[in-house]
Amino acid sequence: MDYFSPHTYNSSLSFSLVLNPKGKDKSFKFLYLLYMDLSVLERVKWLQQQQMVSPDFFEILGSDGREELKRVESYLGNNNDELQSFRHYETIDGCISRTSSFQIEQVKNNEENRVIALQHKRKTEGKTEKIENKKKKKIKTEDETESSMKGKSNMSNSETSSEIQKRDYIHVRARRGEATDRHSLAERARREKLSKKMKCLQDIVPGCNKVTGKAGMLDEIINYVQSLQQQVEFLSMKLSVLNPELEYHINELSTKQFQACFTDLPEAVSKQLMMVDASSFPLQHQESLDYSVINSIQTTTLGSKDQTSSGWEIHSQSLYNNLRTDSVSSFFSLE
Amino acid sequence: MGSGNNPIYTGVPEKDVFALHFLQTLSNLRTQIPFSSPDKTKDRVKKIKKAAYVSMARAAGGTNRLWSRSLLHQAAKRNNKNVRLSRRRKRVTWPRRNRRDPVEEPAAERLRNLVPGGGAMETSKLMEETAHYIKCLSMQVKVMQCLVDGLSPK
Repeated sequence: MDYFSPHTYNSSLSFSLVLNPKGKDKSFKFLYLLYMDLSVLERVKWLQQQQMVSPDFFEILGSDGREELKRVESYLGNNNDELQSFRHYETIDGCISRTSSFQIEQVKNNEENRVIALQHKRKTEGKTEKIENKKKKKIKTEDETESSMKGKSNMSNSETSSEIQKRDYIHVRARRGEATDRHSLAERARREKLSKKMKCLQDIVPGCNKVTGKAGMLDEIINYVQSLQQQVEFLSMKLSVLNPELEYHINELSTKQFQACFTDLPEAVSKQLMMVDASSFPLQHQESLDYSVINSIQTTTLGSKDQTSSGWEIHSQSLYNNLRTDSVSSFFSLE
Repeated sequence: MGSGNNPIYTGVPEKDVFALHFLQTLSNLRTQIPFSSPDKTKDRVKKIKKAAYVSMARAAGGTNRLWSRSLLHQAAKRNNKNVRLSRRRKRVTWPRRNRRDPVEEPAAERLRNLVPGGGAMETSKLMEETAHYIKCLSMQVKVMQCLVDGLSPK
């Protein structure tokens, strides 16, 4: 039976059929194709076709590639194990070169999708394929957090490149001529992560756009951090000079000056600060900035009914919660 | 001030959180150092600076961030008067040294010296912490600038 229609495949085609020697529970036949000039699209289609139950099989033949692929891919959810065993065979079986590989992706966005990326080495014809001369390897990294299962789409076909899928693994592409062993690919993944973070830093640090390259950017960042620290030191010197005035102002129950300083500081906060200093600090005990102090401040703030603005209440609540989590942990650890 | 378009979370609390903490620390300082000794300006400057850093570390998330945690640890070690940090039962765990790969990155060494706690992080984590540290530092600078402007004689 001729499963190929001549118009879909190139003339110089050779393949070999190998039956599944292991005889799995589900009696599927696995076909290994030694492709010479097969495009990946057709190869995948062919491969997926072989997984199909036979009645649908003939329908698929001869129809358009895109719809076929999508339909066929939907069946793949059940056949993960078989496809996984594919990979084992390709290394064991001698008649299959390392180059025979396919890449199958799933359409569904389930979380238990697994992408089986096989190695694809051969240069294919340029008609449908984007990725040529590239090797792929699946790298399982533990860098992903549990919540985000992101990865790059590595489907070479044009149809599925538009679909956004979620994966468990980070797929790293190795370019031609570069090493593909595990370590170097992990290194590359790490380097890309690092560069991503450097880009984030670039957004934060002003003036980083002009300099390119990692070293220049690092220098800029270091300069910026140093300048910020020097600013802090300079301002603290200024404050030390102004400190008597600070005390003077704090003793006065004037909120307006402080409001002028911090425009987005709500009025009640500054009021409360006055309360803090004006109220009786037990000076003999007040040697350290306890969490308990903060707690008491917040409780007095929340207990009092002076607040009129609801925004302040929400704000104080959030502040209180922020501080409270720290204090709770501190209390737990102290006991 | 949210994380914006960063894939890494570098959110920083609002300005008034920093202001609150800083003023609290300052008011605590005030009770300890009387301003009758002009000779000890250096001391005062140092204390204010330390208060600034400590309050920044507190405001920026307490012990949730590596840099703030190590800052508070440093402050607690040196001078136990001003800062009382809760003693943790479990020691702060440092990542394994081999992850840091010191061969490849001599450039990050300076950054490690600048950012508190940088010596124990791997490089990608260092970048995250640097970003957060920069944001908090700039916030603290703004707060202090506001204070200085408000209090300086007009």
